[in-house]
Amino acid sequence: MSEYLLYPGCVASVRELGYEMSMRAVFKRLDIGLRQRDDFNCCMPACLVHSVDYTRGLALTSRNLAIAEEEDLPLMTLCSSCFGNLSRAKYLLDSNDDLRRDVNRLLGEVGREYRGKARVEHVVTTLYKDYGPKGVKEMSAKPLKGLRAAPFYGCHLFLPQRYSGFDDADFPQKLDRLIEATGAESVDYHEKTSCCIGCGSFFGEVSEEAGLKLAENILDDVKASGADAVVATCPFCMMQLEVGQIKLREAKGKEYGIPVIHYVDAFGLSLGADSAELGLDVRRISVSPLLEKLGRN
Amino acid sequence: MVDTRDLLARLLDEKKLSYCQDCGSCTGSCPMAKALPGRYNPRRLLQRVSNDLPELLRSEELWLCAWCYRCTERCPQGIQPTEIFLLTRNLASSEGMIPRNPKTIMRQIMKSGRSVNVPEDFDEWREGYGLPPIGATISPKAIEEQRKIFGEELLRRLEA
Repeated sequence: MSEYLLYPGCVASVRELGYEMSMRAVFKRLDIGLRQRDDFNCCMPACLVHSVDYTRGLALTSRNLAIAEEEDLPLMTLCSSCFGNLSRAKYLLDSNDDLRRDVNRLLGEVGREYRGKARVEHVVTTLYKDYGPKGVKEMSAKPLKGLRAAPFYGCHLFLPQRYSGFDDADFPQKLDRLIEATGAESVDYHEKTSCCIGCGSFFGEVSEEAGLKLAENILDDVKASGADAVVATCPFCMMQLEVGQIKLREAKGKEYGIPVIHYVDAFGLSLGADSAELGLDVRRISVSPLLEKLGRN
Repeated sequence: MVDTRDLLARLLDEKKLSYCQDCGSCTGSCPMAKALPGRYNPRRLLQRVSNDLPELLRSEELWLCAWCYRCTERCPQGIQPTEIFLLTRNLASSEGMIPRNPKTIMRQIMKSGRSVNVPEDFDEWREGYGLPPIGATISPKAIEEQRKIFGEELLRRLEA
């Protein structure tokens, strides 16, 4: 049995319970252990906290890395923004001795230290590294035949390449391969690797306007591609693309009806889990069209 | 302590910005520029960091980058606009200029350890979905640690 230290993240554990349910259900089926703690702090988004104070912001992010080292387990993030932020901190501290010294001075005040050994993973990076397309395919008891899935990579899972190291920065492929391994078709479309600004924009009206515009671009493109569902990797993206559909219905009368699921949901379905086990009945946009297409419940 | 101004100077350093070919790859890759045409432009923002800093520090534009890193990944000259913008915001912050919304979220983080508000009875909700409790805040000791790391001066800056 492999074991990880769960880094729950604010958005995933508070706003995206369906995703957390799905992740837990799938990991249980895979016999992956998740150790939990009650003292991780927010990943301290670089666009917020590091913007106010670079070094102290990094120290706060790195406090989580220090805890992971104390536990001697890799961190399992659910959110791509947490993944990106923790990976960025690790990269910066591992490549700048002065910064590391300063951060450790601050961590020392609370009895902690970053030693450079922490490992940061994400639900999708773990499934790729530990099982890969081949493993996923072998485990697929109920392949998602006939499903046309639109992969949505998000940003921090693969950008910038030097921080995350997960996939090619210009033409990422790994999510496509993982989707195909479930038996679904991975649909190509222009917005596949675009940004939803969900995790990085905090400007009230301006951010909402920009976010809605981007969601509309993405959803229009998914619709034109003929995909049955979006398969995302990040809870922020899922929220933006679901809430975007609700807002665009209100503002413009646009009816998309596009289910937005996480990759772990697609994988769970291919393992044979039902929608209740995967928390698919608590999504903001009904997944019924997807289940009907698969003839599943 | 590492000085933010030094880090910024290093990123902007020695002719580095003069290597900018004005190709616009940054702006062409930027989701915010796409969503707010004419209102946000990282190529111009980068130029303003070196030639219009005092004015820039007072502008909302400085805080619009959503740190997706596409510009950093694509710049043919290896300029890192994302990190440059983050560091430039530190200068605005040190002069007390932090916009209202980011400030509100950071106060929430310093109070509870989370960026989103968690209602007192939220664990009952989670239990209803078969999920383990997370508490309305992270552990009190963890909150104390993060406040200590962040420091009194910055905590006051958020309250101002």
